[in-house]
Amino acid sequence: MDFKTFVFYFLSAILLFAAVRVITARNPVHAVLYLVLSFFTAGGLWLLLHAEFLAIMLVLVYIGAVMVLFLFVVMMLDINLERLRQGFWSNLWVGLPVAVLMVAEMALVLTGRYFGAEALPTPPPQPADYSNTKELGRIIYTDYVYPFELASVILLVAIIAAVALTLRRRKDTKYTDPSKQIAVKRNERVRMVSMPAEKE
Amino acid sequence: MTEMQKLYLLVPLAPLAGAIIAGLFGKAIGRAGAHWVTILGVAVSFVASIFVYQDVAAGNVFNGTVYTWATSGDLKFEVGFLIDSLTTTMMLVVTFVSLMVHIYTIGYMHDDPGYQRFFSYISLFTFSMLMLVMSNNFLQLFFGWEAVGLVSYLLIGFWYTRPSAIFANLKAFLVNRVGDFGFLLGIGLIAAYTGSLNYADVFAQGQKLASTHVELFQGEPWTLVTVICICLFIGAMGKSAQVPLHVWLPDSMEGPTPISALIHAATMVTAGIFMVSRMSPLFELSDVALSFVMVIGAITALFMGFLGIIQNDIKRVVAYSTLSQLGYMTVALGASAYSVAIFHLMTHAFFKALLFLAAGSVIIGMHHDQDIRNMGGLRKYMPITWITSLVGSLALIGTPFLSGFYSKDSIIEAVALSHLPGAGFAHFAVLAGVFVTAFYSFRMYFLVFHGKERFHVHAGHGHDAHGHGQHGTPHESPRVVTVPLILLAIPSVVIGYLTVQPMLFGDFFEGAIVVSEQHPVMAELAHHFKGALAMGLHAFVTAPFWLALAGVALAWFFYLKRPELPQAIRAKFGLVYEILENKYYFDRINEVVFAGGARLVGRGLWKGGDQGLIDGIVVNGSAKVVYWVAQITRLFQSGYIYQYAFSMIIGVFVLLTFWFNRG
Amino acid sequence: MNFTIPDLYPASAEIFVLIMACVVLLVDLVAGKSRRWMAYFLTQLTLIGAFAITLFTMDGRTVLTFANGFIDDTFSDILKLVLYFSVAVVLIYGRSYMAERRLENGEFYLLVLFATLGMMVLISASHFLTLYLGLELMSLSLYAMVAINRDSAVCTEAAMKYFVLGALASGLLLYGISMIYGATGTLELPGVRQALYFNSANSKVLVFGLVFVVAGLAFKLGVVPFHMWIPDVYQGAPTAVTLFIGSAPKLAAFAMAIRLLVMGLFELAEQWQTMLMLLAVLSIALGNLAAIAQSNLKRMLAYSAISHMGFMLLGVLSGVVAGDPRYAVPAYSSAMFYAVSYVLMSLGAFGMILLLSRAGFEAENLEDFKGLNKRSPWFAFVMMILMFSMAGIPFFVGFFAKFAVLQAVVAAGHIWLAVFAVVLSLVGAFYYLRVVKLMYFDPPADTTPIRAPFDMRLLLSANGLAVALLGAMPQAILDYCAYAFIGGR
Repeated sequence: MDFKTFVFYFLSAILLFAAVRVITARNPVHAVLYLVLSFFTAGGLWLLLHAEFLAIMLVLVYIGAVMVLFLFVVMMLDINLERLRQGFWSNLWVGLPVAVLMVAEMALVLTGRYFGAEALPTPPPQPADYSNTKELGRIIYTDYVYPFELASVILLVAIIAAVALTLRRRKDTKYTDPSKQIAVKRNERVRMVSMPAEKE
Repeated sequence: MTEMQKLYLLVPLAPLAGAIIAGLFGKAIGRAGAHWVTILGVAVSFVASIFVYQDVAAGNVFNGTVYTWATSGDLKFEVGFLIDSLTTTMMLVVTFVSLMVHIYTIGYMHDDPGYQRFFSYISLFTFSMLMLVMSNNFLQLFFGWEAVGLVSYLLIGFWYTRPSAIFANLKAFLVNRVGDFGFLLGIGLIAAYTGSLNYADVFAQGQKLASTHVELFQGEPWTLVTVICICLFIGAMGKSAQVPLHVWLPDSMEGPTPISALIHAATMVTAGIFMVSRMSPLFELSDVALSFVMVIGAITALFMGFLGIIQNDIKRVVAYSTLSQLGYMTVALGASAYSVAIFHLMTHAFFKALLFLAAGSVIIGMHHDQDIRNMGGLRKYMPITWITSLVGSLALIGTPFLSGFYSKDSIIEAVALSHLPGAGFAHFAVLAGVFVTAFYSFRMYFLVFHGKERFHVHAGHGHDAHGHGQHGTPHESPRVVTVPLILLAIPSVVIGYLTVQPMLFGDFFEGAIVVSEQHPVMAELAHHFKGALAMGLHAFVTAPFWLALAGVALAWFFYLKRPELPQAIRAKFGLVYEILENKYYFDRINEVVFAGGARLVGRGLWKGGDQGLIDGIVVNGSAKVVYWVAQITRLFQSGYIYQYAFSMIIGVFVLLTFWFNRG
Repeated sequence: MNFTIPDLYPASAEIFVLIMACVVLLVDLVAGKSRRWMAYFLTQLTLIGAFAITLFTMDGRTVLTFANGFIDDTFSDILKLVLYFSVAVVLIYGRSYMAERRLENGEFYLLVLFATLGMMVLISASHFLTLYLGLELMSLSLYAMVAINRDSAVCTEAAMKYFVLGALASGLLLYGISMIYGATGTLELPGVRQALYFNSANSKVLVFGLVFVVAGLAFKLGVVPFHMWIPDVYQGAPTAVTLFIGSAPKLAAFAMAIRLLVMGLFELAEQWQTMLMLLAVLSIALGNLAAIAQSNLKRMLAYSAISHMGFMLLGVLSGVVAGDPRYAVPAYSSAMFYAVSYVLMSLGAFGMILLLSRAGFEAENLEDFKGLNKRSPWFAFVMMILMFSMAGIPFFVGFFAKFAVLQAVVAAGHIWLAVFAVVLSLVGAFYYLRVVKLMYFDPPADTTPIRAPFDMRLLLSANGLAVALLGAMPQAILDYCAYAFIGGR
C-alpha cells in the first residue's frame, strides 16, 4: 500500500463516518457541520484524482457559500429533530429489509469486475504544466457550450421562480418613497380655505 | 378533383348541410328557416343529380375513391363513388321524391312542435340514402344502409309520446336487425374470401366465388356465391320488407305521412331492390339464390295484396299495396330482369309517393281521421286530391299507357319467360296479384271519394287520436300539399311511356347491370317488344288488363252498388277473414315463437347468467375489486412524501430484482 | 485552440424562444401590472413564431449539432409543432382563470415559456447531458408554476411534493445514466447505441443502469408505481397549471422515452420492453380502478392520465419482437398517435373545468357538472365528445388511438396484454360515462350562466369537434406519426 492508497482510504473513512453522522446527529447544527466535513473530505478525494479545480470549487462554493447559508437557516429555524424522527422506528421494519436487499444487489453489480482498475484503462499521464482548469474551460466553452447555456437558463429560471414565489409587498410596512416626496405639489400639502370672517 | 367529382360530392353533402343546420340551429333559424334551408339543400342536390345524369348519359362512368378512412392490413376502408346509369336513376328518384316530400311537409306538419326536427331528419335521410346508392364499396353501402335504418327508426317514432309509435319503431328496429345480421354476414364473407370491399374488385373475383364450395350442412356443398347472395338478400328482405321480415312496414305507418311516402314507399324500402341489382354480377352466378329471391318475392306480392283488401286504415291499405309491389320488384330480380325491377322501382316511387301524399292530404282534410269507413264522397270537397288519387290508383293497377302498366306488365312477362325453379308459381302469383291490386286499390278509392258521405254520422264519436270531435266538413288541402301531388302525378302518367324503351331494351344499364347468358329473359323480352305504343295497345288483349278490370268492377259492385255485400261475405267466410285480419298470424308467431323463445332464453340468461354470473361475480365482484383497490390506493395515497418516495424505491427495487438475472 | 462555431440553424427555434423569453421578462418588468396583456401577447407571438420557424426549417433531414448534443429530425419537428400548439391552447384556456385569481403574473408566462424551452430541448436531445438539462429546465419551471398560488396551502404542499419526488426521480435517472456511461464510455445517445451494438460485455451494469433510467422516465410519465405525485399535484395545482402539466409535458415525456430507450438503449429492448410491460399493466389497472372512486374531477382525470400513459407505453413496448425490429415503426408511431390524441383530449377536458370555473369558484367536483345540458347544451355536447373519446368509444379519435396501440400489441404477439387492456378500458369507460350521465340526466345544482371569453369558447368548441372529426381521418394522423419515425432515416 503506497501513500496515495493510504490517503484514499483515510479520507474515505472520514467521509463515510461524516455522512452517517449527518443522519444520526441529534443536533441539527452538528449535522450540518458533519455535512461540511464530508464535503471537505470529498474535495480531498478529488485532489487525489488530479481534479484540483473541482476540489477547489467544491470547497469554495459548497462549503464557503452554500453550507454557510444553510447553517444560518438551520440555526434560525429551530428545527425539532425529535419530532421529525417520530416515524423512524415504526417505518424501519419495512424500510430496512428493502434497504438491505438493495444494497446487496448494488454491491453485486458494483464490484471490481466491472469497475475495478483492471476494467477501466489508466488515464495517460499528463505533463507537469497541464492545467485542469484550462482544459475544463476549453471544453465547456466549445463542445459543451449548449449544455452550459442550458445550465445558465436553468439558473435564470431558478431566480425567476424564487422571486415569483417569495417577493411580496407587505401591506403593513411603513416606508417612505423619496420620489413621491420630491414630486409633491404645494396644493397637496396646503389647503386654502376661505371662510367668512367671524364676528365677536 | 375534377369538376364532376365536386358535383358528386355536392349531391349528398347539400342535404347533409341542410340537416345539420336545421338540426343544430333549428331554434335559431326558426320554422321557416328550417324548411327553406333543407328544401334548398335537397333542391341543389336534385339539380346536381340532373347534371350528373346528363354526364352519365353522355357516357362518363365514374368509379373512384374520394377519401381513404383507414387501412387495416390489406383491407381498405374508403369512401368512394360509383356513378353509372343505375346510380343516377336512383339519385334522380331519391332527390325528386324527397324534394316533393319536403315541400309537402310544410303543409302536413304545419302545426307540429317538432317541425325543425322533422326537416332535419328527412334531409338526413336523403343524405344517407344518397350515400347508399352512390357507394362503390360494401362498407359505405352498409353505412348508408344503417343510416337510413336509423333515420327510419327515428321517424317512425317521431311522435314519441304515442305508445303505438314507440312500439312500431322498436318493431322496425328489431326486424331490421335480423335482416342486417344476414347482410353483415354476407359482407363479412365477401371481405374474408376476396380481401376487398370494393364492388369492382369483388365482382372481378365472382368466378372464384362461384367455384368455391362450402359445406353448410354435412355432405351438402353449396357454392360460396350462393351463400353470399342469400345472406345479402336476407338483408334486402329486412329493408325491403319481404315475407317473413315484412311485419314492421305496416306498423311503420305510425310515423307522419310524408315519411311513409318518402321512406316507406318510394326510397328506403327499395334499397334492397337496388342492392340486389347492384350485385347482379354475383346473383347471376347462382341459380339457387335467384330462385330463392323469386319465390320470396312472389309470396310477398300475392299474400300481402290479400291483406290490403280488409284494411280500413287508409295508410295501411297503401302500406300493404307497397309490400305487394315490392314483391313484384323482387320477383323481377329473381327472374334476372334487374332493369325491369329498377324500372318498376322508379315508376312505383312516383305513383306510390303520390298515393301516400294523397292519403295524407285526405287525412288532413278529414282532420286526422284515417278510417276509410268514415269517409266517402270526398270527390266534391277535395277535387285535386281526388283526381291525383285516381291517377295514382290507375297507374298502380296497370292501366295501359300509364307508368305502372309498363313496369308491371314487363315483370309479368319476364317471369313468364324465366325457367328457374319456382317461376311457374311466381307467374301465377303476379297474375293473381294484378286482380287483387286492382280490387283493394279501387275499394279504397271508392270508399274514400265516392258513395255516401259517412263522416257526418261519426261526427260525435271523436275516437281517433287527433280528431277531438272537431269533424267538420272536409276541405281541400293548402297549395304546398296539392302542388307536390300534381308534380308527382305527371311522372306517374308519362314516365313509363317515355322511358320504357331506353331503360328496358336500350343500353341504358349497360355495364351497371350484368345478366348472364343462361338467363336470357331480357333478350327474349326485347324480342317481343315493338315500342311503347304497341305495347300499350297490345295490353287490351292480354290477361292482366282484364284481370285488373275485373278487380275494379268487383270493387265497384261491392262498395258502390251493393255496399251490404262485403258484410255478408265476411260472415260467410269467417275463417278466411279471421286469417287475413290477423295478417296470417305472422305477428302472433313472432310474438309466441321468437319473442317468447327469446324471453325464455333471456329469463334463463338473466337468472343464471346475469344474476348469478354477471351480477354475482362480475358486477358485485368488480365493485368489490374497485372498492378494494380504492382502499389500497387510499392507504398508499396518504399524502406523506416519504411514503410516495418509498413507493418509488420499491418500484426500483422490484425492477432491479426481476431483471437482475436477465442482464 | 481551435473553435468552430456550431451550426445554429437547426436550433433556431430554441434560440428564438430563449431570446423571446428574455424579451418578455424585460417587457413585463417595464410594462407593469396594467399592461399584463403585453406579456400574454408576446408569449403567444413567441409560440407562433417558433411554430413558423420549425415548420419552415423542417426538411426531413436529420442534423446533429452542438457537438452531437442536439438532434433535429422529423420526429422532433413534428412533436415540437404539436407542443407549440398545445401550449398556445393552454394559455388561451388558462388566461382568464389566472386573471380572475390574480395569478396572471408576467412570471407565469415566463415560466410557461421556459418550460416550453425545456421540453423543446428534451425533444431534441441526443446526449444524456442535454436530455437531463432539458428535463430539469422543464421540471423546475413546472414546480414553480404549481406553487404560483403561494398563499394557498394546498398549492404549496403539492409543489413541495412534486419538487422533492422530482428531485428523487432525477437522482435515479442520473444514477442510471452514470452507470450506462460507465459501461459504454460515452454520453451521446447514438454513441451509446453503437457501443451496445458492438459490445455487450457489461450487460449486468447496463441492466442495472437501465432500471434506474426507466424509473426516472416512469416518474415523468407518471406510471405506477412512480405515479404517486400525479393525483396530488393535479388536484393541488391551479387548474390552468394542471392543464399545462397534463398536456404538453406528456409529449415531452414521450419524446424522452423514445430518445432514451429507442435512440440510445435500443439494443436492450428485450429488457426494457418487459419492464415497461409491468409498469403498463399496473398503470392501466390502477389508473382505471382508482379513478372510479374519485369524486373530484381533477383527481379523476389524474388517474385517467395514469391509465392513458400506461396505454401509451403499450405502443412503446411492442416495437421489437424476438430481436426483430420489423414492427418498430408502426408500434412507435401508434404510441405517438396515442400521446398526441391524449394531449388533445386532456386539453379539452381541463378546458371544460376552466370554462365552468369562475372567480372564487372551482368547478372541479363531479357535482359541478350536474345538469350541464340544461345550462349549456353545446358545451355539454363538447364534454360528452371528450369523455366518449377518452373512454375509447368509436369513432372518436381516442378510439383509434387505442385501436392503433392494441394493434401493435397484438402484432407483437401479446394477446393477453391486449385483452387485459381492453377489459380495463371497459371498466374505465364507467367513470367517463358517469360524467355524461351527470350532465344529461341530473338536475343542475348551480344555474349560474357560463361566462368565458370568446376566444376560449371558440377554441374549446373547436377542440371538441377536432376530437370528433379526427376520428374520421385516423389514417392521416397515423401516417404523419409514421413519417416522424421514418422521415429522418
